[in-house]
Amino acid sequence: MTDRYEPKIVALLCKWCSSAGSDLAGVSRMQYPANVIPITVMCSGSVSPLYILSSFKQGADGVLISGCHPGDCHYIKGNYYARRRISLVKSMLEYIGLEPERFRMSWVSAAEGQKYTEIIQDFVETLQALGPQTKLRRNA
Amino acid sequence: MNKILEKKSFPRWVAHLKSHTVYGPVSRGDTWHFQEVDRPEDIDLDYAQAIESPKTLIFPAKEVLFEFERTGNDSWNNRSVPIDDKPAVVFGIRPCEARALLLTDRVFGGDIRDPYYWRRRDRAALVGLACTTPPSEDCFCTSVHGSPHSSEGMDILMTDLGEFYFVEAETDRGEALIGRAADLFRPAGEAQRKTVKDIHDRARDLVKRSLPDVEAISSRLSNMFDDPIWEVEAIGCIRCGICTYLCPTCHCFDINDEITRPIPLKGQRVRTWDTCQFPDFTMHSSGHNPRPHKASRLRQRILHKFSYFKEREGVQQCTGCGRCISHCPVGIDLIEILTKVEHDG
Amino acid sequence: MVTSQDLRDAVRRLMKQGKLKTLYAYRKGAGGGHAVPAFIRDAEGVEDLTWDPTCVHNLSRYLIDEKRKREKAKTPPTHPMALVVKGCDSRAINVLIQEKFVKREDLYLIGISCEHSGMADPGKVARKFAGQEISDIKFTGEDTFIVVADGKEKVVPASDLLADRCLECPANFPVVFDLLLGDKTKRNTAARYKDVEKIESLNPDQKWAFWTKALEACIRCYACRSICPMCYCDECVVDSISQGIGPDTPAEEKAQRVRWIERSPDLSETLVYHMIRTIHLAGRCIDCGECQRACPVDIPLRLLNKKMEKDAREIFQYETGFTSDQPSLVSSFRDEDPEDFIR
Repeated sequence: MTDRYEPKIVALLCKWCSSAGSDLAGVSRMQYPANVIPITVMCSGSVSPLYILSSFKQGADGVLISGCHPGDCHYIKGNYYARRRISLVKSMLEYIGLEPERFRMSWVSAAEGQKYTEIIQDFVETLQALGPQTKLRRNA
Repeated sequence: MNKILEKKSFPRWVAHLKSHTVYGPVSRGDTWHFQEVDRPEDIDLDYAQAIESPKTLIFPAKEVLFEFERTGNDSWNNRSVPIDDKPAVVFGIRPCEARALLLTDRVFGGDIRDPYYWRRRDRAALVGLACTTPPSEDCFCTSVHGSPHSSEGMDILMTDLGEFYFVEAETDRGEALIGRAADLFRPAGEAQRKTVKDIHDRARDLVKRSLPDVEAISSRLSNMFDDPIWEVEAIGCIRCGICTYLCPTCHCFDINDEITRPIPLKGQRVRTWDTCQFPDFTMHSSGHNPRPHKASRLRQRILHKFSYFKEREGVQQCTGCGRCISHCPVGIDLIEILTKVEHDG
Repeated sequence: MVTSQDLRDAVRRLMKQGKLKTLYAYRKGAGGGHAVPAFIRDAEGVEDLTWDPTCVHNLSRYLIDEKRKREKAKTPPTHPMALVVKGCDSRAINVLIQEKFVKREDLYLIGISCEHSGMADPGKVARKFAGQEISDIKFTGEDTFIVVADGKEKVVPASDLLADRCLECPANFPVVFDLLLGDKTKRNTAARYKDVEKIESLNPDQKWAFWTKALEACIRCYACRSICPMCYCDECVVDSISQGIGPDTPAEEKAQRVRWIERSPDLSETLVYHMIRTIHLAGRCIDCGECQRACPVDIPLRLLNKKMEKDAREIFQYETGFTSDQPSLVSSFRDEDPEDFIR
């Protein structure tokens, strides 16, 4: 019997908004696919491109960066820097030939547990159709 | 016995060697690289000089020493990684490159033999190609005890005669390779032998660059550790490491454990090329670095090849391929430096 | 037209005036008449200095060495860090000043305009004059070069031999300098991002095929990093040997230290190296092309950096190196920055 491929999503979630939003989904018992490896970061602006590249290299099928809505950043401006920096990383990944759908960014507030589950649901469905990520993964 | 092979029959000879893994110079646009070839026609013997020397086939940039995998709290599965059993043959190797392997043999051999090096070295027959014209603007084999037609270290030496190759077996293994396609070869005649001799003699005269007297240079160098020349000559150095990576005799390496799966732990112990030109090459775990300046690293590269190795092994560890000169992005020129050593040293 | 003699006279004059004591410039190398970086102190060696179409090196790279030397020196410096800069090189200087890596007042810049031509690409010269021995390449004051091949002079249209980056050059005269030699000539240059657009137009698998083929050859010599003036980090991502390690660091901690990129020249590691370097250079690279020239296995590195440059200009209206009075690309933002890719 073959195991169904379950995509692995590395989600870098800012502590003050998105990580809290994912917690809200949890305590509200909202059902959503269990394919996420959540990593809390202090701010979406603190996400280094190396975290993203390293996630793909270690075999992540999808990577999500999620932070506070513009204007709501706990550190005032961090998410604006993230918006610019992550767009450059996304551009680079696509240019190399990674499927654009594998790398996503979202604004999820602490109250948006529902939105978080929808984002993950949609991401998992897309990744299931795309299949495992083999391009950037270290094969050994 | 010397043989003649028609140039157009060369691919057929290679095709007869299905039992071997075949390597040779392959064209990639303006450059050549030694690679495994699936189709005999991919070998380009009309080539000048490959970017990396064939040392990359014997001492590759990555060698997996063994793999490890945790199978329980205190249990491990460690396994060595065998390489292909098949014998190998490398076509088109230049005299300086074959001679360079004899020098790296001394490093990886002796009292303690490096099994990873020797398993590749022992299975590879070397079919050399004499240099009719210098493969590089910067090569200088005749100044370091080499020659454009030397068969040192080779199983077979081929010389290009235009429509034919002159094929000289140097070892039993070489004879056996020829024997695989014996019908393609004819015995060489006196005329061809004379032509080859003329080609070889002329090739020596065509070598463009030279060192005045390498033995005098080595001798001078032994007193030049503190000489200001290193500071002056290293000014332009950007410590990129190209000189050492492309050098056919350089052999420094690093060993690292590379984790391919963290839980449960799985990984490989890997040997990779390293270079004395990187600033952290001599970095101690205390933070002290005995060679923090590029002057000391340039000195190291030159003294290692022309002084220390000479003192230990009786011969310089340079075969004059010229790659370090041709590919240095900032024009650091070994011949220029050594010539100054002899004149001003 | 700026001649080598013009440069030597200027340098002698500046040294006599006490404005310079040392200088990074160019001299002719041993073989092939190709220029190499030179460092002269006082007036010794001025007669060897050259200015010609083989002066491809970006000498601002040596500010890294100079700065480290000065940091370790026991006495404060008495003279500026002086170098010859072309248009492209001067933009690198602006970035280094903007990032506070060097102070403008610590530099003396002898700017030289490429006027009607630029730098000759050694590969294009070798191909056009295959089999011939090149002993010199000279400027003519017009959009041509004189190539001395096998002892004979041949006039060649500059566009036949100009480095690709020169064909697309947005700054063929220096934008920051203390002394300028040559005229501020405007030259017709080609559209800057044709090659990037070609790759952008491919589908993901085609892009992937292109890049894997190009990057498989990488031997991880890091020459691209070593020759780049912007790669001045004391400890680079690929060097991670001393992060947090001291004499008292316990073994377990050393074993668990982060290694973003393994030493193996596996494609996965090589890709992360090149991608992270390109991202680190976004908004900082001024396309001097030295990384690609230095690469021993001909990886088309400019195509990576130009992509970031195109994004910076087209998406963020950010132009690198024409002024030092702007924030860096990634530590600034505008309200209008696009967020259509963000859910």
